[in-house]
Amino acid sequence: MALNNVKKYIPQGYNARVSGNAAFFEVPMGEIVQVVLSFAKLEQMQLKIITASDERKEQRCFKIFYIFGIPKEHLFIIPFIRLEGTEEFPSVAPGIHEAWNYERKIAAFFGLKPVGHPDSRRLMLHENWPDNLYPLRKDFPWNSRPAHANGKGYAFEKIEGEGVYEIPVGPIHAGIIEPGHFRFNVAGEEILLLEARLGYTHKGTEKLFETLPLQDKVRLSEKISGDSSFSHSLAFCQAVEILAGIKAPDRSAFLRVVYAELERLSNHFGDIAFIMLDTGFNFGGAHGARLREMTMRIADRLTGSRFLRGVNAIGGVTKDIASQEQEWLLRELKHIEKDFSEVISIAQESESLLNRLKKTGVLSQETALAHGVVGVPRRALGMPIDARIQYPYAAYADLDKEIALAEGGDVYARFLVRVKEVHTSCNLIKQALERIPQGKILTEGGNISLQKEEMIISIVEGWRGEIVHVVSTDSHGQIARVDVRDPSFLNWAALGHAGPGNIVPDFPLINKSFNLSYSGNDL
Amino acid sequence: MAYIILWIIQLLLIPLFSPLCVGIIRKIKARMQNRQGASIFQPYKDLWKLLHKDEVISQDASWVFRFAPFVVFGATLAAAAGIPTVTILMAQSFTSDIIVFIGVLAVGTFFLALAGMDTGSAFGGFGSSREMTISALAEGGLMFSLLALAFLAETTNLFGIAEAMASSVFALASLLPIGLAFGGFFIALLAETARFPFDNPATHLELTMIHEAMILEYSGKRLALMEWASANKLMIFMTLGASVFFPFGIDFSLSAVGITMGMLAWGVKIFVFCCAIAILESSMAKLRFFRLPDLLLISFILSVVAIGLIIA
Repeated sequence: MALNNVKKYIPQGYNARVSGNAAFFEVPMGEIVQVVLSFAKLEQMQLKIITASDERKEQRCFKIFYIFGIPKEHLFIIPFIRLEGTEEFPSVAPGIHEAWNYERKIAAFFGLKPVGHPDSRRLMLHENWPDNLYPLRKDFPWNSRPAHANGKGYAFEKIEGEGVYEIPVGPIHAGIIEPGHFRFNVAGEEILLLEARLGYTHKGTEKLFETLPLQDKVRLSEKISGDSSFSHSLAFCQAVEILAGIKAPDRSAFLRVVYAELERLSNHFGDIAFIMLDTGFNFGGAHGARLREMTMRIADRLTGSRFLRGVNAIGGVTKDIASQEQEWLLRELKHIEKDFSEVISIAQESESLLNRLKKTGVLSQETALAHGVVGVPRRALGMPIDARIQYPYAAYADLDKEIALAEGGDVYARFLVRVKEVHTSCNLIKQALERIPQGKILTEGGNISLQKEEMIISIVEGWRGEIVHVVSTDSHGQIARVDVRDPSFLNWAALGHAGPGNIVPDFPLINKSFNLSYSGNDL
Repeated sequence: MAYIILWIIQLLLIPLFSPLCVGIIRKIKARMQNRQGASIFQPYKDLWKLLHKDEVISQDASWVFRFAPFVVFGATLAAAAGIPTVTILMAQSFTSDIIVFIGVLAVGTFFLALAGMDTGSAFGGFGSSREMTISALAEGGLMFSLLALAFLAETTNLFGIAEAMASSVFALASLLPIGLAFGGFFIALLAETARFPFDNPATHLELTMIHEAMILEYSGKRLALMEWASANKLMIFMTLGASVFFPFGIDFSLSAVGITMGMLAWGVKIFVFCCAIAILESSMAKLRFFRLPDLLLISFILSVVAIGLIIA
């Protein structure tokens, strides 16, 4: 069945290897740009990620995979190219803007040069990292410390003219937040150009995935972005479960929904609080923080971890929710949802708050599409994108759900999407607890053996947006490569475009309305 | 002699109690957010702590940066010396003239802005440019709101105004201009003392700061002086508002009982002002920067209308 579904998407003349819900086919280097461009034009195809792998040892080549997803059908079409005896590949970035940073990342970490890419600056790795040292190549000594290099400074984009000046902000900020550098070009208070430079929290996550033992890999996936511990570990565990041929018990699929929505709830409460606090609306800030704390305490009581760490395991979850706890959870949720509605109705009566949120930080539909923006900012433009519906996982296919949308693409729209999602999350938890079957929560697998030379794409809708994990194995059945795409990776590139036209004092508010992860981006 | 002692006591009241005001406002705000909040004496402890800390001064800093905290702090003391607090004395002194009072405060603001730009950091420059935009516009409202009272009292001496306001019973018709002038004054107060909706004294967001951005480079003892000076400025404006617009309980007799009553009345009035500011800051969001001039224009217009009503 899957085979026929997939076949219609494969251009004529290519032989596809179909495995599970993915179709792989090799494309000669000269034709890849054309193939990828034709896919990108199709409305039903979404570029999910462009990833590379170093297979010089086994196949004497690098490979670059262009992974496209087909929503609803939940299929993946994966053209790939083979780089034999060359370290250059044709760039698709001039045709598909979304590919821009994927290719820069491949250039920085694999040392493969995207020919024709308009931006040759190194992504993420800073000036203190030596040239010609590429951490994701297999021969890179991961446990040694490279010599300190003194490279040339990073060439920020610049606007020149009378009265235009630059403001460097960060990487260390006045509050306790992650590090990142922002370069503003402003005329008076108005932002003309905004560029973010990240990479300060680069910690070699993808390399560590290749070296750590399997159980530690699960723990590592929880640390990709601390606030999305559960979603990231879920994406990773799902991929490994498919590779190992393990089916997580039905009960665990429902529990995963409950935990994932709890994570979404506490983060959305936090974001809503901070958006209000950044306008100086202290009432909303205080109550949002209170609701977040209540939700995290629920997580702590149910699992022993406020961030839901140690809950996901390969083959299910480790923490069950007993029936009296379920009743307690429902009561608490009802209480929290009522509280939340009251707070929001008071906030929406505050003229001064709404005035700050509306028309601030507008992201245009065109920019969002070009950058492949995912998650909350995309839904704030009225564009339905939600992996829980388009690529259903865990027990989401069995639950009724609407995609929370808002119009306008401004700070207020992103605020509204979060408010709506709080209610859908509460509703999803309720539904999941009503329909949860009895049974085991974890498939004990004994020795886990993985399929050989396979690549699995696992998608999870984290609270920021779509999280993609690509897990591939080598000819020994060992995990050879894990590529992690946090939603922040795409959304950071678009954030710079929401700034211009606004005034500098409004930027923190705009930034907060996106609330992107530095850690998840820098890996 | 008694005059001089009283004058010194009156002068010291401002810096002595100004950190307490800041503490009270923070406490009320915390309570309104369902938080316990720090003790109302915390600002004193903070000042004490900062006074015992070493300083880091940028190597690019000039004498302006080193010197400014003393000028800024000194300016608040000089201004404090010229305003009626608990008793009406030295009504003939020239330092309590409206123009002199506003001028002395402007000297402090001027040096504060210079110090912000001195080290060449982007945020300091930001703060200074914003502060100048706002204080240039706020000055009009402040000046004219006090002038409205000056027309009524027929003197520009602040003590004289307070005395006139307290002693003579104005016609009911003049309540309206006084009310309007107070509206103008209160908006100018919020702007001058870096409170909502102009500035957020509690923010950690360097890009949104006004006052805090200017003192971002300060540390240790000089930071303590800067913090103390801004607390003083808040106290001065609240005291001025309390004494000239609501001169109930101000002492004329220079007797012990009268002065005690004067201090009590002063304390109560300042507490009411603190509550008003705290409630305002808890219930609204900060305005967008470019809407601030509109608000300051309202302050100016209210004051001008008040003057118009008084003259007519």
